[in-house]
Amino acid sequence: MLDHLAAIISDGILLGLIYAIAGLGLSLVLGIMGIVNVAHSAFIMLGSFFAFELFRRLGVDPIIAFFLALPVFFLLGTIVYRLLLIRVERVSQSQGLVAMFGLMVLIENLSTIAWTTDTRVITASYTNASLVFGSLYIAQVKLIAGVLALVLTFLFWAFLRFTLAGRAIRAMGQNRDAALSVGIDVRKLSAVMFGLGIACAGAAGVALGMIFPFSPNTQVQWLAWAFLVVILGGLGRVANTLIAGLVIGLLQTVCTAFLPFDYVYLVLYVLLAAILVLRREGLTLAVKRAI
Amino acid sequence: MVLSLFFLPSPSDTGTTRLRRLAVWLLVLVALAVYGAFGRQLFLLSTLGTVFLYVVLTQAWNILGGYGGYLNFGMVTFFGVGAYASAVLFQYFELSPFLTAPLAGLVSAVLGLLIGIPTLRIRGAYFALVTMIITFAVQTLVLDLPVTQGALGIYLQPLKLSPLNLERLFYFLFLGCAVIVTVLVYAIEHSNFGWALIAIREDEDAAEIVGVRTVEVKWIANGIAAFIAGVVGGLYAQRIMYIEPTGTFAFDISLNVVLMAVIGGAGTWQGPLIGAPLVLLVADALRVTVTSEVNRAIFSVVVILIALFIPGGVMGVWTRWRRGSKRKPAGAP
Repeated sequence: MLDHLAAIISDGILLGLIYAIAGLGLSLVLGIMGIVNVAHSAFIMLGSFFAFELFRRLGVDPIIAFFLALPVFFLLGTIVYRLLLIRVERVSQSQGLVAMFGLMVLIENLSTIAWTTDTRVITASYTNASLVFGSLYIAQVKLIAGVLALVLTFLFWAFLRFTLAGRAIRAMGQNRDAALSVGIDVRKLSAVMFGLGIACAGAAGVALGMIFPFSPNTQVQWLAWAFLVVILGGLGRVANTLIAGLVIGLLQTVCTAFLPFDYVYLVLYVLLAAILVLRREGLTLAVKRAI
Repeated sequence: MVLSLFFLPSPSDTGTTRLRRLAVWLLVLVALAVYGAFGRQLFLLSTLGTVFLYVVLTQAWNILGGYGGYLNFGMVTFFGVGAYASAVLFQYFELSPFLTAPLAGLVSAVLGLLIGIPTLRIRGAYFALVTMIITFAVQTLVLDLPVTQGALGIYLQPLKLSPLNLERLFYFLFLGCAVIVTVLVYAIEHSNFGWALIAIREDEDAAEIVGVRTVEVKWIANGIAAFIAGVVGGLYAQRIMYIEPTGTFAFDISLNVVLMAVIGGAGTWQGPLIGAPLVLLVADALRVTVTSEVNRAIFSVVVILIALFIPGGVMGVWTRWRRGSKRKPAGAP
């Protein structure tokens, strides 16, 4: 029983770390730029396929792909920002939402054209191996993905905390006008910020692709998970997002272990509704676009 | 009269111009009714039936999404719950979906309130995202609950009609629903309730200050939309006679509804009437040459362009063009 519990908890923590990076990019883009990036999960899915293609064609290990994804998706993010987000920032929030929604559908369908709707998996050398600690078995691939996620979260935290650019980004999140008036190039930083968000999504996609099967038309469910993390953790704070991810990962593994059906969605929805009701003042302030 | 409180006279229109504009739509309606009565092409009847079904769903979406500016990305939840409510009632009590469709609507409306109560208190995009999450939650629930028979699905009793008469029946049924719902949306557009929704869309703080009960208005709008979607869901279950979770809760349906509303023009009663046939008929026409994915990709680009550059879709362009031809345009919009 105790072993069982330890397995559930370790599984939950590792999954939680990965959920945290899935939500991190969304949280930062929403919190600092005020844009609901509905296409976030589409970029996560692209990340999974990025790892898949590198592995299949060139035999690149997903661990390397995880770090390769960061610059590649950063570039992709800044390009998308220049083409689309600049204009999204100018229109009303609901119109922006529709546009981002269109982007999600576009990416999903282009991916379906490229990769069909078949479900894919990445089978690296360590995919089915487990580490044994006494009587506790931990899937090696989850451990690797979890550690990678933790590293990435730490990098983000350190970047926002200690670098000048990170400080400027935080200033922009607090008050865009004030940031502009002290000489911060808001437009350029927004591009960087969005690029970072997408980089995070791509890397999360690689990590998720190591563990879960994926296909272009199931990506939306990751949006649901990422969004749960964001609501629970609040906006634009790396540490809170991490904790929220861990809570959701643990909740999921505990629910699936003890409840007869897959009621985890229902439990999470009740949680979501409760948070939305309880924290609505804080959220309202944070969600309002910086004027 | 109490009603006069709710129906405001439109300041810009005189009676005759409005009548003339309505006449065009009435002519289309008569033509469709005539075709429904005498047309013999099974394929066309069935396609048009689907168009009317989507007109109903898109109009329902339009109430809160178009006028109120709160986007529902999970319209299929209400639709699917309606379909399942009818199917389950048939399975266990042998009740025909024709009788239980209003009941299915009520079940959906209750769900709509359950979703709306926590999410519609919050401003912004939370409602949009939660509606999407709910679709997956409900779909999982339907897959797991014993009542709904999981992935096996539920068979309904086929009606004893020839295929042609069957298509004709649903053609008129959905056409009737589309007309009723369109009239309802028209009435909403010209009522205080409609103005309250528009006020919420334009500036929710200001709306609240001038005394609009914003939260209640949003709840009611969402409830009405859920009710309508539930009713057509129940009818849809009888139409296809077999429902299962994946197809009934397909995210594509939610997607189509948003695409149609945005392309036609959200926030106008004509928008869904233009958007639904446009998207479906173009998709049908393109299906011969390209796959549905290419099709969807094209539509999504169109939606992005409309959202960013042509607010108001087809109807927006139409109104601006009409205004422009009447008098000189006063600079850029």
